Amino acid sequence: MISISPKTIATGSESLMTTPLDLTNLTPEQVALDINGLNLHYGNKQALNNISMAIPKGQVTAFIGPSGCGKSTLLRCINRMNDLVDNCHISGEINLHGNNIYGKHVDVAELRRKVGMVFQRPNPFPKSIYENVVYGLRIMGENNRRRLDEAVEKSLRSAALWNEVKDRLDESALGLSGGQQQRLVIARAIAIQPEVLLLDEPTSALDPISTLTIEELINDLKKQFTVVIVTHNMQQAARVSDQTAFMYMGDLIEYSDTNTLFTTPMKKKTEDYITGRYG
Amino acid sequence: MNKWFKSGSPWIWLSAGGVSISLISVVGLLWLIASRGLSYFWPSQLHQFDLIDENGVKSVVIGEIYDREEIPVSQLAHLNLTLAPEQEVLERLLIKTGNRELVSLDFRWLLSHYIVKDQTPKDLVVVERRTNGNFYGYIDSIILDGKSVPKDRLAELLSRVESFQEKIDELQKSDIGAINHQLERLRLKKRKYQLEDKLTPEVEAQLSQQKNALNISYEKLEKELLAFRKEISRDQLVMRAMDGQLVTINFDYILDVSFNNNLNFLEKLSVFFSQVGGFIMDDPREANTEGGVFPAIFGTVLMVLLMTVIVSPFGVIAAIYLHEYAGKNALTKLLRIAVINLAGVPSIVYGVFGLGFFVYMVGGSLDQLFYPENLPSPTFGTPGVLWSAITLAILTLPVVIVSTEEGLSRIPSSMRHGSLALGATKAETLWRIILPIASPAIMTGIILAIARAAGEVAPLMLVGVVKMAPNLPLDGNFPFLHLDRKFMHLGFHIYDVGFQSPNVEAARPLVYATALLLVTIIVALNMTAVSIRNKLRERYKMLEH
Repeated sequence: MISISPKTIATGSESLMTTPLDLTNLTPEQVALDINGLNLHYGNKQALNNISMAIPKGQVTAFIGPSGCGKSTLLRCINRMNDLVDNCHISGEINLHGNNIYGKHVDVAELRRKVGMVFQRPNPFPKSIYENVVYGLRIMGENNRRRLDEAVEKSLRSAALWNEVKDRLDESALGLSGGQQQRLVIARAIAIQPEVLLLDEPTSALDPISTLTIEELINDLKKQFTVVIVTHNMQQAARVSDQTAFMYMGDLIEYSDTNTLFTTPMKKKTEDYITGRYG
Repeated sequence: MNKWFKSGSPWIWLSAGGVSISLISVVGLLWLIASRGLSYFWPSQLHQFDLIDENGVKSVVIGEIYDREEIPVSQLAHLNLTLAPEQEVLERLLIKTGNRELVSLDFRWLLSHYIVKDQTPKDLVVVERRTNGNFYGYIDSIILDGKSVPKDRLAELLSRVESFQEKIDELQKSDIGAINHQLERLRLKKRKYQLEDKLTPEVEAQLSQQKNALNISYEKLEKELLAFRKEISRDQLVMRAMDGQLVTINFDYILDVSFNNNLNFLEKLSVFFSQVGGFIMDDPREANTEGGVFPAIFGTVLMVLLMTVIVSPFGVIAAIYLHEYAGKNALTKLLRIAVINLAGVPSIVYGVFGLGFFVYMVGGSLDQLFYPENLPSPTFGTPGVLWSAITLAILTLPVVIVSTEEGLSRIPSSMRHGSLALGATKAETLWRIILPIASPAIMTGIILAIARAAGEVAPLMLVGVVKMAPNLPLDGNFPFLHLDRKFMHLGFHIYDVGFQSPNVEAARPLVYATALLLVTIIVALNMTAVSIRNKLRERYKMLEH
């Protein structure tokens, strides 16, 4: 079922050879998201402590860290999914194109169209495969059948699912396997052409083969989107990401290009974590 | 023993016993009402009993056996019967003898001790009549236009009368009914102009012209009707009753003449089905103790459907507010408890509320605003099918709210998040994702509401049900659906026939038959809803992760 095209592999190796970006001195054009002094409280408990980082455009950035370190919370801040949590208070700013997404006149729905998200467990809607993919477009008011058809094919191709489902687009999405469902959810997220794609442990509920497919897919996706991925799997972060941020207890401990972080970590905590001393 | 308790088998036995008892009661109930109800339609043997009573007086009784019971001899001491000493009980029979013009009671008890001869002659007939109940006896002669004709022309004459009767019914119900309706509307129009001070002589002339035109066509139809009436009252059937008296019955009063003793099984079966069909399709006669229950079926179904249409949106909207928008605080909790407790209010209280609030306040105001020309006779300010449906909708509202809320809370949050993350607003998520997934739960609420509403009688007696409604709430006259009309209901029909009719004994099988029909209709309504729910469930079933 998995098709590994030679192109994907080539892209994978290419990314290893590019010279790493200097994360502290990015030009404004290179930045997709600029997180500045972000604090987050759940009630009285502080979950994120003064996080500041710049996420570069067109690259894969991974957040790693032990459970409860705040990596998913930080990810959810980027498309304001934390708004749905009661008692959650956020200060600081996240800038997308120089505009603070926590500003006063931000349309959250509009923001979420620009910053798509894929969750830990595949959550296709109980609709047909086709309707799942076009859901976001329909919300945006697109009802032209031809344009929807095009978007479905394009998104499913991008999510490496087209060949598997092209003959059964009208069947229920719930009939797909877990890995297929997760790729469908990715296709659904990219159908509305977001700028940033947030992946919250996208492979933690999947088997190794599906995981491999999704990882290859991530490498492809960064050509079109800025990808931010949360993972508890360090090998995965090493395989797919260009930058890695290590978080611990709500603090951003270390943030650098993946090679550096995994080979010559600056901080003791990072080294302990990646060598498996805790976590 | 201890080991046996620990093994869990006592619980299995106990729970299986519980299930069996429920099952037996349900099957028993259905069997009872079905057997009693359906036997009413089966053509029974007509008996002729020759009797000699304790004084040596001979008599003849003709009729159907309705019931048998045994009574102790000691209770019959006053009759001074000569019995064998070892005999302790005597059988007595309940005989339906009909012939109301000769004897005032339809039924009589007969001690089997008196019966010297019991026969079932083949030429004994039962005549089903429009009024005065059944007539049992022998056909003496048939009089066609004043002259006696052979008895074998009976069937032909009966079908002739039937075809005329159909024409008369058609004429009365649709044509003359429509003209009456239009005349009434003209009267109301005139009154409306009067009230608004717009009744100019031109308008009045125009209205009276229309009225005259209607009157002319009315007279024409009436003449037609009279001609038909004359046709069907042409022939007579002369019957000889059990005491030898001759009774003349006009053919227009006869519904059917049946030689019950002469029927073979298949013929009996066909009589049975035509009787069942008549029961379902015909209007009631004779204070509801004879004829069919069609208006009651129609009223029940229409009222339940209206109720469903009203309660579903309200219940769903209320549940959505409570679950999705209301803050999670003490007030919401209080509201939820209040809603659940509403389900425990006795239904008659809803009836009183419906009468006071909907009928008198809302209906009265509607009349003053929109139907002033009709006053002082009320249009909506009187019990009717709309108020009944709304009252029952309020009665069943908690059921729909509770099950919808439960359905909403069962939807995994990943569905909401998935939709919100794609840029949908909360409202869009509700409409496109949440409500479709919750639809099976909503249907469950509606099913429970239907089951509850279809069986309610008490509140309806206050807000719209009547013993006999002259018109169905749905007919061919504009605006076709008359929500202000009173209606008949199977549940009330059972009560009325069983306990309020002049002839309770005669009506008892009818009570069972109507009860069976009510159960059938509720089951049918429920099955429809259940099949819709199952389809929805199939469509929106969540994959187990």
